[in-house]
Amino acid sequence: MIIDKKIVIIGAGFTGLGTAIKLLKAGQDDFVILERRPDVGGVWLDNNYPGIACDVPSHFYSFSFRLKPDWSKIQSPGGEIQEYLRECAEEEGVMPFIRFNTDMVESRWDATAKYWVIKTSHDTYRCKFLLTGAGHLADEFMPDIAGLDTFPGDVFHSARWDHSIDLNGKRIGVVGSGASAIQIVPEMQKIASELVVFQRSAPYMNIRNDHAYTDAEKRTFERNPEVLEHLRAWIFWFGEEQYAQRRMVPKYIEDAKNVAMAHMENQVADPELRKKLTPTYQIGCKRRLSSSSYYPAVASPNVTVEATALARIEGSKVYGTSGNSYEVDALVFATGFEAVRMPFTKRVFNAEGVSLDEHWDTGMQALDAIAVAGYPNLFVIYGPNTGLGSNSAVYVIEAQVDYVISALEYLEQNQLSVFDAKPAAEEQFMDHIHDVAEGTVWLDGGCRSWYVDERSGRLTVIWPDFPHIFREELSKFRPSVYELSA
Amino acid sequence: MKSEAVDKTIVVDGVNISYRTSGPVNDRLPLVLVHGTAGNIDSHFGFLFPMMAFRQRVIGINLADPGTETIAIEQFVAQVSAVINAEVPDGAVTLLGYSMGAPIAAKTAHTLGTKVANLILVAGYMKTDTHQKLRGHIWLSLYKEGNPLLKNFMSFNAFSPFHMRSRSLEDMLAGTAKMNVTPFLAKQAELNTRIDVLAECEELQARTLVVGLSDDFSCPKHHSKAMFGTIIHASYTEIATGHAVVHERPAELFYHVNRFCNDPECYPVGKVVPAPKP
Repeated sequence: MIIDKKIVIIGAGFTGLGTAIKLLKAGQDDFVILERRPDVGGVWLDNNYPGIACDVPSHFYSFSFRLKPDWSKIQSPGGEIQEYLRECAEEEGVMPFIRFNTDMVESRWDATAKYWVIKTSHDTYRCKFLLTGAGHLADEFMPDIAGLDTFPGDVFHSARWDHSIDLNGKRIGVVGSGASAIQIVPEMQKIASELVVFQRSAPYMNIRNDHAYTDAEKRTFERNPEVLEHLRAWIFWFGEEQYAQRRMVPKYIEDAKNVAMAHMENQVADPELRKKLTPTYQIGCKRRLSSSSYYPAVASPNVTVEATALARIEGSKVYGTSGNSYEVDALVFATGFEAVRMPFTKRVFNAEGVSLDEHWDTGMQALDAIAVAGYPNLFVIYGPNTGLGSNSAVYVIEAQVDYVISALEYLEQNQLSVFDAKPAAEEQFMDHIHDVAEGTVWLDGGCRSWYVDERSGRLTVIWPDFPHIFREELSKFRPSVYELSA
Repeated sequence: MKSEAVDKTIVVDGVNISYRTSGPVNDRLPLVLVHGTAGNIDSHFGFLFPMMAFRQRVIGINLADPGTETIAIEQFVAQVSAVINAEVPDGAVTLLGYSMGAPIAAKTAHTLGTKVANLILVAGYMKTDTHQKLRGHIWLSLYKEGNPLLKNFMSFNAFSPFHMRSRSLEDMLAGTAKMNVTPFLAKQAELNTRIDVLAECEELQARTLVVGLSDDFSCPKHHSKAMFGTIIHASYTEIATGHAVVHERPAELFYHVNRFCNDPECYPVGKVVPAPKP
């Protein structure tokens, strides 16, 4: 069956739902959201491991147009964020537009008919505009570990947690020490007989300033919306201030490092363990983390920090690159996501049959961080150069949704139906991005991170400037940088 | 984007004035920064200076004790004017004054005429009023008796209650202890009790952005509102902090300064521009 729609949106996470809500508010209802999972929430549906929570305060990690006075904590658990998104979808009337359990298999631009043809696991759609909302954290990354197939125990990725498996009393290996791992490890430490953490590189970590809101506080937010808006602004501008550290202003680098190191030294007494947990790169080069329970967990007697990457597996014996080996019953891969080469790009083809993944063979890039020359009428939301090192992803997503709405309005008002990024404009935009990125901690911080595409050495995931500059510059369609036609 | 800062000095009325330059020369007017009471380039513009210098040429000035028993505002105006004329012999500048630096900047703009095309006045005032005179009286009394509570008094007036609420009393007192109370600072405090640049502000022609601070106990926002009313080509915006905006929300101050430097028309004359809602 072929279904015609004006707009097809891939994914029902923050991006897909935010776009749908704004489309409905703009009076546009000729769209559909294709969601491969049975519910909304995106990353917050997929990731439900023990201890999962956001590390951005919830009063800012939420839509500006749907504030929630009754968040349970400063930084809410993942499940509560997923519930918030479902509530948004239900109360804003988005649910009827979502096709659940529908996987986008292939999207191709038909240059003659001037529409996208989208094959899914069920129907085929034709649409004028395709919007991808898959994001950087949609598909898990599993390292290719020699001998993994010989491991007799339980193995799963943190984004595909198998809750049917009882890990109590088991010898558990956690692979990774990033944002997911530092939430999982304290939970596993409580139940494991032995726990080994494979740490390729140590993260910088701050104390987690978190507490549950009282009923009185929630009522205060509800009864005084201006108090909530003031708090939201305070969170935002505090995050913006952190950009000076990413910009490598020496005072801010020193202050940030001192705070992180003091936190570690307060919580870890053993000098040998401190040495293992001390990062060897500049702070901010990789994502800065916050936890008040990670260090105490890894300092516990039943935990070993293996300060090298997992190298190989022989049966139930797992080896670090140091050569140290450990017997474990279960392995949890908290190894992150395919952020640099997002898997959906292998399924999106231009008129010549070239996939976006092939097109981006030296790294992803997009004009205004949203449009790709040669791929007309495609909006890539939360794709190249949209990640933030110092603020909420939802802020960027909202700016991009505003860009989409303004583009659709412009095209309609001018009786145009096709936009395509001018290649020269895209290159000029990318040159600007890379100029700004020079001298930032992401490029000069001496680390290997998923923010940088190893094929080009360019910063392709992160927006390298102040987040508020993103909204200033990239929340409105710029007709002059596109080829436009009826 | 990398830009090395260069520290320089100039002699004005026999006194060495130190200043710092950084940032690329481009189509933006050079931005000149004048700090407030108890400040210098690092303490008041530790965020604004380097972050603006990634985008344009910036000149920061450390006001210096002229060595006289008391300070006349004209002496500070001479220091600022000398640096501007030395560093920007041709063309115009954007001049920013924060706190006490605001009336100094306003008077400098009046003195230099079209040399100061754009003016940014943050937490400023035109004429000391009774509230400020009383604060100055307490300040100078505590100073004369060597009372250690002077530093706490300064801190109490500098930060908003909201900012303090996010810190413990111990944190606030520890921060206060780092303050350096000098005879030069006492002279600044005394100057603050008799500022009057109202007449100059009435005659200013520079395109001006007035930034008021909603919880400012040192220079309450009614002063900024009055400046907005007095200066003919002024626009107004407000930041939700205490007087120490440079510490409480330096990034929001950067947001306004950067926008104004890039395009003053973002702030229409005679209009109140609301704070951005993130």
